[in-house]
Amino acid sequence: MLTAVKNGLRVCVLSIKYNIMREMVNKVTFLTNVCFMVLNNASILVQWFILFRLREDVGGYTFREILFLWGLTAASFGLSHILFARAFSLSELIIRGKLDSYLVQPKNVLVSVITSSTDISAIGDLLYGVALVCACRPGVGGFFLFLLFTVTGMAVFTAFALLLGSLSFWFVRMDMLQGQMIMSAVSFATYPDGIFTGISRFLLYFIIPVGMAVWHPVHVMASFDAGMLLTVLGYACALSVAAVAVFYRGLRRYASGNLMEARM
Amino acid sequence: MGKCGDKSVSMNIKGGCRAGVRFRPWRKYAVIYRSVLMENLQYAANVAMGFFTYFVFIFIFIKLWGYMYRMPGELIAGYTKEQMIWYVMMTEMMLFGSNAASVAGEVARDIRGGNIAYLMNKPYHYTLYILSKYSGEWSIRLPMYALLAVVIGTVMVGPLPCFRLTAVPAMAVCVVMGLTIHAVFKLCISLFSFWIEDARPFQWLYDKLILVVGVMFPVEIFPRTLQPLLKMTPIYTVCYGPAKLIVDFSPEKCLEILAAQILYLTAGGVLMTLIYRRGVKKLYVNGG
Repeated sequence: MLTAVKNGLRVCVLSIKYNIMREMVNKVTFLTNVCFMVLNNASILVQWFILFRLREDVGGYTFREILFLWGLTAASFGLSHILFARAFSLSELIIRGKLDSYLVQPKNVLVSVITSSTDISAIGDLLYGVALVCACRPGVGGFFLFLLFTVTGMAVFTAFALLLGSLSFWFVRMDMLQGQMIMSAVSFATYPDGIFTGISRFLLYFIIPVGMAVWHPVHVMASFDAGMLLTVLGYACALSVAAVAVFYRGLRRYASGNLMEARM
Repeated sequence: MGKCGDKSVSMNIKGGCRAGVRFRPWRKYAVIYRSVLMENLQYAANVAMGFFTYFVFIFIFIKLWGYMYRMPGELIAGYTKEQMIWYVMMTEMMLFGSNAASVAGEVARDIRGGNIAYLMNKPYHYTLYILSKYSGEWSIRLPMYALLAVVIGTVMVGPLPCFRLTAVPAMAVCVVMGLTIHAVFKLCISLFSFWIEDARPFQWLYDKLILVVGVMFPVEIFPRTLQPLLKMTPIYTVCYGPAKLIVDFSPEKCLEILAAQILYLTAGGVLMTLIYRRGVKKLYVNGG
């Protein structure tokens, strides 16, 4: 069991390493992608400068908390796209019958699928998130909390993408829905939860898991609460387990696309 | 492109020249436009699948401005809550309805993948071919998103106060001009792919500039010292101008925006042609 986990982790690390090395062949493009993504994210701060000129708080958040919110969203989203970018386009692989090449390899199918691609611009997201939170001077404890929540956020975003993508084993046209739901989650995650009330707030905590990926962690970072911390950890684990279970359940229904493809 | 430039001959869409027929250079672009329009008409249901993302954006802004406006009748930068939300709905409608990103992506793919080598030899100007295709796309998408915006706005925000139905043709002209300017600038950025492998990072910055400064907020919300500067950027002609006319129409403003749009379109067109001419000289065809 331990050896299998060790081997899985080794495959994961090597896969990501080679993905990044492949992208770094053209260094100018690599650096442009990373740097411009940082600039791209930074430009959205203008929106918050404008809103905080109008009011002292937005949705109950101070400017510092908004920076935490953006930092955590960018870092979680970035980390999930560095490590598991293919989970976000899983639908396309299933619909086009491109899973065959992963099934014949003597490796864990899920790990080799989701680590088979890396979004290089996501490095810019991660760097931006870390820089933004550091700029808020969260202290050593706060920074470690941020790192922990970046990992839980990454797990929630990836598991959510995996769940939606796996639905393609049963339903057609899930690729569009997967993309739209993920983009919606990210859009919601970059605004404070205080502006949402009633049913929309309920949906954002339990259907689109933005509350547990970003909002709860930001509340914990602003004022520590052990109960909330455990809730976030438990939710991230439960959602990840559910996503893996749904993927393997769906994989039984997978029919080959009869597509000749080689993976080097 | 210019192979049949003699005015005594004309060319059809397949590139053949027929002697003795009047030269109508725009006909081929009209044919491209019509064929893309018909193609998109077949897939109108696919366009509707994007409504969800549009609704999410609008929903967030309705909630956000609902929070920012705490008293009924309050004005922020001279806009009521309804006008502010309608402004965002109109600017988002133009962005979603135009789908300029896919056009820009197509150009970048053509250049990176080498497909441009085939397309540039056809009897049309490549950039005008892309703009014709783009127009065929938004001709289907934009009315659908406009209808959705009107429904969402009327149900969730309420009707737009002081909306002038008689001014709709003038507004439509400004919207179309804005969409065309937007596409021209996105095309210019995509044409940088002749020099750099991936022009997407520049597209992100341009898109974010348009989104933050023009789509989310009207120019009046920015500090007074910045406003003249912002009015000189493409934002003024691409999204602020048309949306401002829809939420608060005045004939003087309409003329001012149209004049700025004509200037921008001319400058953008010249820039696009220059970049394309320089770019194709950098092209290497490896065969295959």
